[in-house]
Amino acid sequence: MAVYKRGYTRYQGALTGHWARFFVLPRFAWRRLLEQRLVVILLVAATFWPLLCAGFIYVSNHADLLLGFDQKMSAFLRIDSRFFVIFMNAQSVFAILLSAFAGPSLIAPDLANGALSLYFSRPISRVEYVLARLLVLLGMLSLVTWVPGVLLFFMQSAMAGWSWFASNWQLGVGVFFGFLLWILLVSLVAMASSAYVRWRIVAGALVLGVFFVLAGAAELTNAVLRVEWASAFNPGRAMNQIWCAMLGADPIPGPNATFCFIVVSIMAALLLFVLNRKLRPVEVVS
Amino acid sequence: MSAPEIVFQEVSKFYGEVLGVNHVTLRIPSGITSLVGPNGSGKTTLMNLMAGLIHPDRGVITVRGLSPRDPERLMRITGYATQYDAAPRGVTGLDFVTTGLLLAGHGKQEASRRAWKSLERVGMNEAAHRKVAAYSKGMRQRVRLAVALAHDPEVLILDEPLNGLDPLVRAETIALFHEFAAQGRHVVLSSHVLQEVDVISDRVILIANGMIIAEGHVRGVREEIHEHPSQYIIRCRDASRIAALLFEQDHITQVQVHEDRLGLLVATRNQREFSRALTRISLAGHTVESVVAADENVDALYKYLIGGGR
Amino acid sequence: MTAEFRLRQAWTIARLQLRRVFFSKRSSWVYLLALFPSVPFFGHAIEVKLSQSRYASRVTAAAILESIREGDTDEEVLKTAGEPVHERKFRRGPRGEASVEYRNLIYFDGERRWFLHFEAGILQNKRSRPLIDFEDDRKVFAGVFQYFYLRLAVFFGCLGIFMNLFRGEILDKTLHFWFLAPARREVLLAGKYLAGLIAATLIFATGAALSFGLMLWPQDAVELSAFWRAQGPEHLFWYATAAAAGCVGYGSLFLAAGLLVRNPVVPAIVILFWEGINGILPAALQKFSVLYYVQSLAPIPPPMDANAPALIQLLMSPADPPSTVAAVCGLLAVTALVLWIASRSVQRIEINYGTD
Ligand SMILES: Nc1ncnc2c1ncn2[C@@H]1O[C@H](COP(=O)(O)OP(=O)(O)OP(=O)(O)O)[C@@H](O)[C@H]1O
Ligand SMILES: [Mg+2]
Repeated sequence: MAVYKRGYTRYQGALTGHWARFFVLPRFAWRRLLEQRLVVILLVAATFWPLLCAGFIYVSNHADLLLGFDQKMSAFLRIDSRFFVIFMNAQSVFAILLSAFAGPSLIAPDLANGALSLYFSRPISRVEYVLARLLVLLGMLSLVTWVPGVLLFFMQSAMAGWSWFASNWQLGVGVFFGFLLWILLVSLVAMASSAYVRWRIVAGALVLGVFFVLAGAAELTNAVLRVEWASAFNPGRAMNQIWCAMLGADPIPGPNATFCFIVVSIMAALLLFVLNRKLRPVEVVS
Repeated sequence: MSAPEIVFQEVSKFYGEVLGVNHVTLRIPSGITSLVGPNGSGKTTLMNLMAGLIHPDRGVITVRGLSPRDPERLMRITGYATQYDAAPRGVTGLDFVTTGLLLAGHGKQEASRRAWKSLERVGMNEAAHRKVAAYSKGMRQRVRLAVALAHDPEVLILDEPLNGLDPLVRAETIALFHEFAAQGRHVVLSSHVLQEVDVISDRVILIANGMIIAEGHVRGVREEIHEHPSQYIIRCRDASRIAALLFEQDHITQVQVHEDRLGLLVATRNQREFSRALTRISLAGHTVESVVAADENVDALYKYLIGGGR
Repeated sequence: MTAEFRLRQAWTIARLQLRRVFFSKRSSWVYLLALFPSVPFFGHAIEVKLSQSRYASRVTAAAILESIREGDTDEEVLKTAGEPVHERKFRRGPRGEASVEYRNLIYFDGERRWFLHFEAGILQNKRSRPLIDFEDDRKVFAGVFQYFYLRLAVFFGCLGIFMNLFRGEILDKTLHFWFLAPARREVLLAGKYLAGLIAATLIFATGAALSFGLMLWPQDAVELSAFWRAQGPEHLFWYATAAAAGCVGYGSLFLAAGLLVRNPVVPAIVILFWEGINGILPAALQKFSVLYYVQSLAPIPPPMDANAPALIQLLMSPADPPSTVAAVCGLLAVTALVLWIASRSVQRIEINYGTD
């Protein structure tokens, strides 16, 4: 074609920054997730226990006046590491349920309908795609885990005063990082299973199944071998041990926190491996 | 043995609220018949109804005297290549065809012999041992055709069988249809392109919005399409007066005055006569503000199918 | 079309489907689920065998070990009982305070292991446990069978296998290939059910039998031959039968669910919940569950979890376990009912690959 006929000019206008573009993915995903009825129901249900705990904190800070100094009662009402570990165990279940219902709709449909090649034909890399999806889950699960947890911590600090905060600050840090670890594991399970099976619904079942079956298998191994270390392979139990160590609570009998942490890290590495293997825009059929 | 025809009597099918096909009455004799219509017009729906994959909400269908609700007998004489571009996981082309034959009740050896023959017919014997999932689009199309052909059916239903085929294979495939039709069998196929099937089919059925618009030989269809009632909305000052004038014309089948008395819905069987009538009316001093085709279907469809406004 | 023709057709369908169930990569997790319990049982057997050969040279007479009292020092114990089979020393203490030395010694008297726990050189705790306990191992197996196999593995395995038969093919957009075969829909249903049943039964009965075998492997030869002469074969048979019965029952349930329901998670949770609370339902309602019949087929009833709250233990008392004949008949009746419902709905089902 002659040069003078060349009418095409490239778009010269301004582009949004790299990170602004990156956040397009989670922004739309959040909105889509919040349109799902089940997700909203779960989010609402997940506030029940934190509210109860908030009530408990209130009562415990005003009980001295009401009850005098009954030793047993005040021990029961004390807000300590045990209180927060119990709180975390309850909320972790909601994290699993939420990730089972919300997680798979993030990746599985993209894979099943060949949307990955569309994403990758934008300036978005595979890692960024995964990070964006992870961010969606991270945000969603934070709402039911460390956000209420840290709020409770500050509520207690405000009510019990500076001295309580000074001697218990590591509780807040533990709640935050402990939950972050759990969210990471749960999100990885959700993403890996949806990349693995590619059906949104089945992937949800798989997420629940993984936690169910791992728990069953761990208990079974403990029973047959008459040991306790297999509990480390039950994510819920393992995480409980880690949390106890982080918050300085008395651990329940079982494998120690370091071992649990190693096992959980290996699981996470395996899940990343699956994600890396399965998250391809084109599948080569052998 | 009843007449070898495919018969639809007042058949309607709804997908929930969405219309699939509506009040379809058809008799399809043997030979090549093409269903032509734009996307979402109901071609696949009609074919699925014929094969018993879906059931009509109203009406009766028989395929060579057999009910689609009796797959045991119907499927013995019917081969259907669907538009769903899927194959069972991990099967090779040969497995795919053989499985169909085994299901049809052939023995192992017979099945494999027929499978090879069928693959050869569609020119796929070279790729027979490769996985279907690794085929190109045209290859998948052909292997599905091979599955439909393999048990030598009397009724061959093919949903968009020429899609994605290269010109050479297309010619071969069309020759195959002719061969089938010459033996007194049914070949029912669908397409978006009237010119394409124009040359190969004995009959064409035009379908739009779930309704049969025209059927017959291709030439007949062209004429018929002009006689099909089409609807117009007229905006004007004195609607009732114009309505009365229009209603005197015998090509007008329906006139409806809008509530605000400033509009009319008119159905006509002859567009040319209609435009003449409108000219007369405006010349007589009545103000006609606008004329819009209410359902551009027939017109648009025709343009779309024939390509450009011929 | 004769009945024989249809039977043959169903068998053809079953054979074609079987190949897919058995050899598809997608069902590999079912194998994993079925074979998993063998791993710890195998580990247990190996551990016992290794310990036996390792301890053989250092057996301490039981009488000596009996005579050791709490409060003895570690030096005294080492002098009287000799070298232990295992020893571990470590120091630990509360933060900021002086640490204490702990010492664990393990002795072996030919049958039992003795665990001695010293703190600062003083024996604090003495326990003994048989190296291997047939009675106990059988109880553990019964627990594994009832809780892991019946309630978890067979349940989820059947969920996967049988849901896949129809719902999976709808998701894959391949169900119409089956419907385009010259076979009645009921015949298709029967063929697919048969395939799922054969696969599930083979996988889970074999898995359970393998675990059972591995559980028996390290046991004492005398006890073992007595067991085989007495109730052994019967136990093995009923374990396999119970696994198969679980597949029959759950299989039909999930086959029907796959035809009727779009999302498998919903029926799975509903059925899991129903079977879970089954133990605390009125006797009349208990009869409408698979677990009620299947668990009574297993030769040893499920061991009660000692840690369960008293209220649950009270409620969990099963109403009246049915006799074997009644269990089999009841299960078949439930299955026949469910299959009948499934065959009604497979007649009506339409190929309508919606958005999923
Ligand atoms: N499973 C379904 N659920 C809801 N509506 C459907 C379904 N299948 C088809 N329809 C609707 O029925 C109508 C006819 O669809 P059909 O698939 O028969 O069209 P078609 O002529 O085959 O179109 P195409 O040329 O795109 O293949 C369309 O309006 C479509 O939206
Ligand atoms: Mg179509």
